[in-house]
Amino acid sequence: MSDFLKIKGLKASIDGNQILKGIDLEIKPGEVHAIMGPNGSGKSTLSSVLAGREEFEVEAGEVSFLGHNLLELAPEERAREGVFLAFQYPVEIPGVSNINFLKAAINAKRKHQGLDDISAKEFMMMVKEKQALVELKQSLANRSVNEGFSGGEKKRNEIFQMAMLDPKLGILDETDSGLDIDALKIVANGVNKLKTKDNAFIVITHYQRLLNYIVPDFVHVLYNGRIVKSGDKSLALELESKGYDWIINELEHA
Amino acid sequence: MSKQDFLSQFDQITALLPLQGKARAIIHNGLEFPTIRDEYWKYTRTASITSSVFKQNEVEIQSLEPFMIPKLDAHMIVFVNGEFSKQLSSSEFPNVLKIIALSKASAIDKDLICQHLGKHIDAEKHAFNTLNTSYFKDAAYVKVEANASIEKPVCVLNISSGQKQAVNVRNLIVIGENANVNVITQFEGRGNEDAFTNSVSEVVVASGAHGGLYIVQNEGEKSSHINSTQIVQEKDSTFSVITFTKTGKLVRNNLNFSVKGEGCESNMYGVYFTRGNQHVDNHTYVDHLVPNCNSNELYKGVMADKSTGVFNGKIMVHKDAQKTNAFQSNQNVLLSDTASIYTKPELEIYADDVKCSHGCTIGQLDEEATFYLQSRGLSKDDANKMLIQAFASDIIEKIEIEPLRTSIEEFVHRQFTI
Repeated sequence: MSDFLKIKGLKASIDGNQILKGIDLEIKPGEVHAIMGPNGSGKSTLSSVLAGREEFEVEAGEVSFLGHNLLELAPEERAREGVFLAFQYPVEIPGVSNINFLKAAINAKRKHQGLDDISAKEFMMMVKEKQALVELKQSLANRSVNEGFSGGEKKRNEIFQMAMLDPKLGILDETDSGLDIDALKIVANGVNKLKTKDNAFIVITHYQRLLNYIVPDFVHVLYNGRIVKSGDKSLALELESKGYDWIINELEHA
Repeated sequence: MSKQDFLSQFDQITALLPLQGKARAIIHNGLEFPTIRDEYWKYTRTASITSSVFKQNEVEIQSLEPFMIPKLDAHMIVFVNGEFSKQLSSSEFPNVLKIIALSKASAIDKDLICQHLGKHIDAEKHAFNTLNTSYFKDAAYVKVEANASIEKPVCVLNISSGQKQAVNVRNLIVIGENANVNVITQFEGRGNEDAFTNSVSEVVVASGAHGGLYIVQNEGEKSSHINSTQIVQEKDSTFSVITFTKTGKLVRNNLNFSVKGEGCESNMYGVYFTRGNQHVDNHTYVDHLVPNCNSNELYKGVMADKSTGVFNGKIMVHKDAQKTNAFQSNQNVLLSDTASIYTKPELEIYADDVKCSHGCTIGQLDEEATFYLQSRGLSKDDANKMLIQAFASDIIEKIEIEPLRTSIEEFVHRQFTI
């Protein structure tokens, strides 16, 4: 059986600055991996590279995802294969209806899978069900993508889209940033309900707080473009109480 | 080709009205066609038109179907190469609506037509207006009686067969007091040879009337089109013009509003999506002569390939036109490094208690938004099309005639494969 997700020696740069300096990470179905680390360590770059953002240049390494060389796929092909990135800063797109665009996205994925377009009835039922999951107001689902949404609404909309597209690999890029505790719980609850034994999540976060609600199987510390420490959920608690300095010190004295 | 040689191609056309003879004298004598040395024509060269050999073709068109906006249910008046087609036009109208061709008008109607025809457009200084007045073969007359509300839109369809055809299209629309009507002037060009349509419309909006004019330009790929529209509004009337330029090699639109009565609202909207070597120029002019009027203007363009867009919008607020609210905006997206837009929003204000704004934007599609849509599974092409559609959506949503809105949406979707 092919690997679910395997990242080997991944190096990537933007505008000539190397950000990722050799990432190794393996993820199996059913797992939740948290990636933590100080600002500028490369967390968001990793998520961008996995989603296929063009500004980043992959200099070395491999990423295999369900038998595909992920780095060779266009962003939309990755999405159709089941990669989903919940954006740290979701863009506002005036004039593009949330619902119409999601329908187009679902149909693009279905076409790729050799399926017919989703029926209007099935789609509307799905919208209703998934909206409830993230407690997204119906009026928001019908509006232009993220236009005029509050920070919390934008993040809920990301999870709503994730629920609609039912990805195999969900990447949450600092989804907790800017969320109050109630919104955080709703988002986390949404993710927990989407979790199955066949999919996996990468949760990128600054704070341990989110991990109270989305319990990770593994916690990795990203520092200066490398994963410098991995552990279980207790590592997150340790980071919360001690900060990152002790790991950095450990590294420098090793 | 000299001006005389160019004009001689039209001289065999029979004049229907005395004012045509007068116009012929003007154009044959002092008046010259504009060049890029004229500020008003700075970015649009018309020499390719005025040095071309054109023809007057006779063609038979059996069915309207290929030219019709799908599912449109309208009162139709149809002209083929400038000549009225009785067979293709609707034959019955509500008694509060009169739609006739000048060539078929009774003496009484002719008198009514002559009260307005040529009275509102400047055919003495603007050579293309003069050319039109000199040589139109027929004219559409649409008259809505006072207090009438016309449910179905009126569609004035002009079909050009291409084949180097030159047509001078003439329309007169008179909307009675407190009446309500939507009119489509639709231009359908066929064939690959260059052709020329020179259209002049005069629209008289009586007090308290409401109306809309949709200009739909779908000319042949190598054709040129010059369109002059003069709106005259009396007090408490509302009139909107929405211009959709779909195809045509060279298109120039002159849209002028003369707001003569208080309490008027004037709206101007336009969408131009250009590709290849297309050149589309929109000039608008609003003349606020009296107080307490509003005007809104929004033109949006998307230029691809080596195409060129021109926008020049002028709002004139005269000394007496206090409490005028006038808003103007022109927004453009360039899809290639070789596409161009020349835009000039202008305000000229002589009153001191007004609210006016003008502005323009030129940009590219938002790459972040494209990536966002791609990351959800849409191809880059589909993502960009969705963004372009979204860009135009606030104008397209203003179309009150649903079949027309659908056809414009489909056009927008088809137009660009990036």
